[in-house]
Parts: sequence; structure tokens; C-alpha cells
Amino acid sequence: MQSITVTINGEKKEIYFEGGETLLDVLRDNLYLTGTKYGCGQGACGACTVVVNGEAVKSCMVLFRRLEGAEILTIEGLSKNGELHPIQKAFIDADAVHCGFCTPGIIMELYALFTKNPDASEEEIKKALNKHLCRCTGYLPLIEAAKIAQKYYKESIGKEV
Amino acid sequence: MEYKYIGKDAKRPSAVERITGKAIFVDDIRLPGMLYAKILYPKYAHAKILSIDTSEAEKMPGVVKVVTGKNIKHPFGDCLHDRLPMAVDKVRYIGEPVAAVIADTERHARAALSKIKVEYEPLPVYTDALDAMKKDAVLIHEHSEKYFYVTPLYKPTPGTNIAITYEIKKGDVKKGFEEADVVVEDEFNFHHMSSVAIEPHATIALHHLDGTVEIWTANVGPFAVREQVAEFFGKNISDVRVHIPHIGGCFGYKSDPGIEPLVAYIASFVPGRPVKLRLTRKEDFTSTFIGRGIRARVKVGATKDGKLTALEETLYLSTGAYADTGSNILIVAVQTSGGVYYFPNAHVKGYSVYTNTPPVGALRAYGHPEAEFAIERIMDMLARKLDMSPIELRKKNYITDGKTNVVGEKFKKSDGDLFKCTESVLEAIPPKVEVKEDENYLYGVGYAGLIKAPKAATFASKGCHIKFNVDGTVSLNMAGGDVGQGLWTVARQIAAEALKMPPEKIKVYNEIDTQYSPWEWQTVGSMFTFQGGNAIIRAANKAIDALKRNASLVLKRDPDMLEYDGEYVYDRSYPDVKVAVKDICRGYVTEDGTTIGEVVDVTSYFRLPGVQGPDPETGMGRTGGSYTMGFQGCKVKIDRRTGKVYIDHFATSIDVGKVIFPKGAEAQVLGGVLMGIGETLMEEVRFKENGEIANPDLIRYKLPRIEDLPGKQTVKFIETPDAVGPFGARGLGEHPMIGVAPAILNAIYDAIGYDFKEVPVTQDMVKKVLEEKGLTVKDKEE
Repeated sequence: MQSITVTINGEKKEIYFEGGETLLDVLRDNLYLTGTKYGCGQGACGACTVVVNGEAVKSCMVLFRRLEGAEILTIEGLSKNGELHPIQKAFIDADAVHCGFCTPGIIMELYALFTKNPDASEEEIKKALNKHLCRCTGYLPLIEAAKIAQKYYKESIGKEV
Repeated sequence: MEYKYIGKDAKRPSAVERITGKAIFVDDIRLPGMLYAKILYPKYAHAKILSIDTSEAEKMPGVVKVVTGKNIKHPFGDCLHDRLPMAVDKVRYIGEPVAAVIADTERHARAALSKIKVEYEPLPVYTDALDAMKKDAVLIHEHSEKYFYVTPLYKPTPGTNIAITYEIKKGDVKKGFEEADVVVEDEFNFHHMSSVAIEPHATIALHHLDGTVEIWTANVGPFAVREQVAEFFGKNISDVRVHIPHIGGCFGYKSDPGIEPLVAYIASFVPGRPVKLRLTRKEDFTSTFIGRGIRARVKVGATKDGKLTALEETLYLSTGAYADTGSNILIVAVQTSGGVYYFPNAHVKGYSVYTNTPPVGALRAYGHPEAEFAIERIMDMLARKLDMSPIELRKKNYITDGKTNVVGEKFKKSDGDLFKCTESVLEAIPPKVEVKEDENYLYGVGYAGLIKAPKAATFASKGCHIKFNVDGTVSLNMAGGDVGQGLWTVARQIAAEALKMPPEKIKVYNEIDTQYSPWEWQTVGSMFTFQGGNAIIRAANKAIDALKRNASLVLKRDPDMLEYDGEYVYDRSYPDVKVAVKDICRGYVTEDGTTIGEVVDVTSYFRLPGVQGPDPETGMGRTGGSYTMGFQGCKVKIDRRTGKVYIDHFATSIDVGKVIFPKGAEAQVLGGVLMGIGETLMEEVRFKENGEIANPDLIRYKLPRIEDLPGKQTVKFIETPDAVGPFGARGLGEHPMIGVAPAILNAIYDAIGYDFKEVPVTQDMVKKVLEEKGLTVKDKEE
């Protein structure tokens, strides 16, 4: 066993692990943060996307031991004080939540995109979403949700408690 | 008619759970004392197992048990009992479980797998029905005569690799071809693909020490899982309990019992301990059901003015190592061979043939895309030969009021208006292409009709349990799996309409448990809205009747003199004489506390009326019961340099009878069309000669992404009310996939003048044709 210290969803934690685990393994199996999903294990589907130090990363492709000191945000850390995050609200309003398996990863992708660049163009939004596979929606509801999410997110800037 | 809740957009009841990472999927479940299983797969796709030595593996750290198939006493199944949860004395496909390690962690289980020693004697491998049907082919199932089948329809042909044979005869085909002025004949091939839900399969099984079994799994057929597992172990059905948490997409391959019998078998070696098996994406490709895999040899005849006279067709399903789950796919394909067209004479025969691939199982719309691909392609070829517009030829031969399909089912006006569907697609995508080519691209348009019935078991039913709560709210329990299609939303809307109360007062179930949920056959065949909706209406009416009976005691009026409005039951002539629903839903408590009346807690079921099994002699009969029809069209542009096919515009129009949940319905079409584009242009489970899968991952198996979206999509719904469907609604979920492949291939012909007869049509295939036809353009020299 070895350990590193990371901040997960705002809480600083010392986490023990075997050695070869990916970030996804640790999130799901050690921390029971099961909102992050396994879909392919090869970085192809995007279901395991979380935000590490402000960047969207595919957690199945990241070795946990390389993350000493990292700030990690997962879908569980997005809503605060019982309030949904604006991006989450947008997905409900656009009816973009179907089976819901790919959705947490997509929301974390958009969170990283909009926090870095609230004015991301439609092309940039599509480029970010193109890293994700969704079999249910045919993607158009996701694009619609992303646009509404951007609007809600921009409206929320500065209003956070 | 004005509706208050249906036909309007609604919030999905499951959305918040699913958007916050709180929705529990199978792999999110951890049970106390849980163990993990990993599976050993064979080196060969077809081989005798000579010996298995597990002694070294048993000594590995953390290992609790190593399991092989030697304890299996008999095969299991639904229609044809030819399946095994684990290989016994031979392996028949590359993803067949040979042994399993149960350990305290997945890592320990995996480490021990490599210590299991297996000796094989390899056998010839067949991945195509036509090879497996050859006279000298080695038998994949040596003793198929011993298998149990539920009806002779599913009887194998011993001494061959043919599992199921099914034939229909309508009219006189010989005479039909004599009447024909033109005959067109060709062969089409639909390759294998995978459902690829983003959630891979996972199951937990627990054999309790009292002999009962509990299973947690992602499957839309929990009652089928329960029955097959009970039968396999010789247990009472009531002693097997299946839980269905959230399901991360289905698309077909989570609808028949899949890995559940395997996990239940493995867990039986460690009674009292739950065992979880979660498949990797590779295993999800190699060891669950695949789909499609049908060849069709088609011959059609027509008079010179374009009237179809005869259809003769043979279909070959490469069904994989076990035929049970593919048998109905073949039967449905045969029954659907005529598509949306009227053939006075038809002779269609189908063979489901054992091969050494993963077993073929359900995949969105199974049987229909395969058969209709062939008929919709050949309709375009026939139109050319007749020098007639393909649209005119189609319209001339549509199954309309009073006409029969190839199994003899008569169509009624209330089955839908195919002409309206066609017109609305043509409005979006006119048949004439303004620019046929330019420097960079070649352009074309193509069309296809589509039709589908549920094609379920004749006894297939859905149930609805309505429980009134003492505050007048309602708890609604059903067993339909919401795999993303939005059926929990639809159920709530229909219940709101039928119970005349706002959806917010109705709490829809969000998990299924065979102990508590009303029985449902399986959530398949795009049947939930139709059957489940009617079950809801029946249950709502039953509940309203009970409320009126209770109110009758309180208001001293006969029940049929009372009205119900969701909040009150009242005298229809004196509405002031009323009692609140909340005061009578558990009986009525009178002033002195004496309670009268009944508790309003009801369950109702619905099945398709009058559906028959096919006639043993002719194969004919009312096998569909309820059809949904539609029309699809597309405009393609083909890159002359690369051969890439771009879908500029795709249009779909389906007569759904009545749209219940507009956004959900539209998304079903968008998702279905894109999945159709996937199977037409990119998706294929590719087999090597030795039966290995060449692309069992999401890097090499290409799923459509945003970059693959059509430039534009049009979705239109026609609403010709169905005679039986709830508020006139019909099924929709699978249909949008059906016409996609033939519409695109017809459009490709229009663009480049080449008839592709198989899917997928890859970029390389198109490029090769462009080169052969001299249609390419060289890159301009800088």
C-alpha cells in the first residue's frame, strides 16, 4: 500500500492504494464515488471524464499515483448545498438526460470547458463533446443542452455564494 | 380530442438522479461480503476441451473457488434449450466462458486465471451460415436432436448445423412470376454488429443459504431472467428474485438472459456470498450477444406498370454458437420480408445456422432492418428496370387498407398513413437533386419505407400497479425498464391523463424487483407505450371504479351516477355533493371511526389482442398484431477524393398514432437514425478466420460521434389514431433504424451509380468504386 494526498470535491484526503490503479479505479472502488463511469477503459468513450486541476481528463487513462496534490472534481462535487449546478439544470431543461450513463462525463467535460472559457464557440463545444460517446440521444439534445448550459453558467458567474 | 398531459413535454422523473451521479447502476452496487469473478476464455473459437487443471489457480492469493462447467447438468433457454452458462466439453465461440475464478478482489481473480491449464483439440471454425451449411461441415452441436423446444417452430435439424427453419407460403409464387413482365434477383448481406450500450454488462448473484437466489442485473427482461435461472437450478420461480437498478442503455443485448445464468452458476459454488461479474468492454463485445448477420437472396416480379406479383426469398442467419436467442430474429425477418409492400404471392424460407461467433441476440428492431434492407434496395433496382420513379413504384404497392402482408395480416386505415409519411419526407428532401456533382462531391438522394410490429410472444403482457396514498397521491409500479427511451416519463404522462391529476402527484417506480413489480414479459419490441399505456389506463379505470364504489357508500348515490375529477368524486347532477379522493382511497372513516369501503390498490395487465403463432403448415398468421409504418429519405454527398459519405440531410416520418412525449419521441428518432447511420457506414463486428474478433474495443469498432451527425435532420410524426393503442398511440422506439441503411445505399447509387448490397459500406469501399468508375478527382498540384 502507498498513499498520496489529493483534494477531492473540495475535501483534502490522504488516500491509500495498491500502486497500479487508475484514477477511475480509485474513485469507484476506493472512494465509492460511483457517479464516474467505466465505459471502455481506453479513453474512447468519455464516460469516466472528471476534472483534474481544471482540465477534463479521462480518469481511466490516468495513473492515480501521479496525482499527488491534485484537485479533483467529480460529478458528486458539482451540486452545492442541495442546488443543482447550472450545467445540470440545463441538461434537465433540454431533456438531454436519457439513460444517464454517459451524462456525468459529458457534464464534467462542459464544466472544464466553460470554467476555462465561458465564451466557447459552438465549434469548441462540439469539439469537446466529440470526445464522448452517447448511444441514446443522437447528440442533438446534448448540443442543445450544452448551449443552454453555457447561458446558465454565464448568468451564474459572480452569483456563487 | 384535447389532452391535458399527453402530447406535451414533461420532465423525466429520473433526470435528477441520473445527472448528479446518484443513479445506481449494477456496478455501483456493493454488497456485504461480496466476491468478484473473472472469466477464462478459450484459445480457439471451436474446440474440444480435453482437460482443465485448476489446481495451481486454487492456490493463488485471495482465490475462494475456481469454477468449471463440469457441474452443469442440462442446457437452458427460452424457445430452444441449447444454451450453456459455461462450456462443458467443447467451446463454440471465442468468448465462451471456460472457467471462472472467484476471489476477494477482481485483481486476485484476474491473476489466478493465467494459472488455469486447459488442453484443447481445435475444430474447424465457421463464421458464416453458408460455410456452416456445407455438406462436409463439422457439427457445432453434435446432438441437437436432444434439445428441448417449446413448439415445433424451434425444432433443429439434427445432423446439420441448421438450428431453425421457417417458411411462409402465400398464394402461388410460380403463377406470380408467370404474370411478371420484369424480374429482379439479387443477394444482400447485413453484417454482424453490437448493441454497444455505454454501460457494459454486469451482474451480481447471491445464493442464500435457504436455497433462494437473488440477482442484481442490467436487463429489461427481469422475469425472463428469473424463470430461466429457476429452471436451470430446478428451483421454484418464486425463490428467485431479480433486482433491476438503473440501466445504462440496452439497444437489444440486455433483453434476453445473458450473463445472468453464468453469474448465478458461478455464485452457486459459494452459497451465502454475493458474486459480482462486471465485463470489460472487450468482454462486452466477445461474450454477450451480437446482432444482425443475415444474408438474403431475393427475387421479385412485377408487371410492366409496376404492380408487384411475387416475392421469393431465402434468408440465412449466421446465428452464432447458440441459436435460442436468434431464433425469433430469423422468424421475424421472414415475416417482414415483404416490407411495406403488398405481394399477392410469396414464398420465403429462412435458416438460422449455428456458427462459431458469439450468439446473435436482440439488437434494436431485430429482423426488420435486415429484411427491409433487402426489399428496399431491390425496389430501387426494380424501379430502374421498369424505368419508373422509385417513389411511384413504392406508392403503387404500399400495403393499404384491406391489403395483406406476406403472412396474410390484413391492414386497416387505423394502422397508419404511409402516403402521408412519404409526402412529408419528400417535402423535406425532394427526389430531384439540383446539383448532381461538383468539383469535390457527388450528390444523391435515396428513400426507404419502414414497418415494424412488436413480434413478441403471444402471451406477452405488461402490468401496472396503482396504489393510492392517503393524501390522494399515487404510487405507480410497473416493470418496464427505462433504458433511456423515457418510458418512465411516458408512464407518468399516461397515468396523469387517465387519473386526471397532475404528474407531480404520481410517483413512478425507478427500480424493478420481481418480488414487488407487476409481471411484465420483457421491455422489448417497442411495446411499452402501447401495452404498458393500456395497462395503465385499465388500472386507472379500475381504481376510479373502486373510488366511486367507496364514494357511493358515503354520498348515498349509485356509483354510475358519480363523476371523478382527480381530486373529488361527486354527484354528476349536484357537484356540491362530493367527497375528496384522499378521504376514500383507503376506505372511508365514518364519524365514530367505523370504516367502510375498500382500499384502492389495483393491478391491471394488457396484451396485444388476437396475436397468433404462425400456422405450422403455411407459416402464416396474425403474428404482428400492431404495426407502425414510416418513410425515410436522405441526401448524401460523397467526397470524390476520399470516398467519405456525408449525410447532408436525413428525414424521417413515422405514423405513431399519437405522440405522448414529444421531446422523447423526437430523440428516439434522432438516436435511432444515428445508430442506423452507424450500422450503415461504420459499425461491424469483424471476425478473423479463426473466429477471433478483430475489433473488440471502441477504438477499432467505430460508434457514431458528433462529427458523424447528418448536416440536417428532419423528424415528422403523422398521427392516425390506432384502434387499440392508448390514446391512439403506437410503438416507436426501434423503428427509426429500419430504413436508414437502404435509404443511404439508394442515395449512394443515385450519386455514383453503384449498387452496394451489404452494410456497412466503408469509406474504402466507396473510394475503390470511385476509382474504378473514374469518378475521383486528383488533388490539385500546388
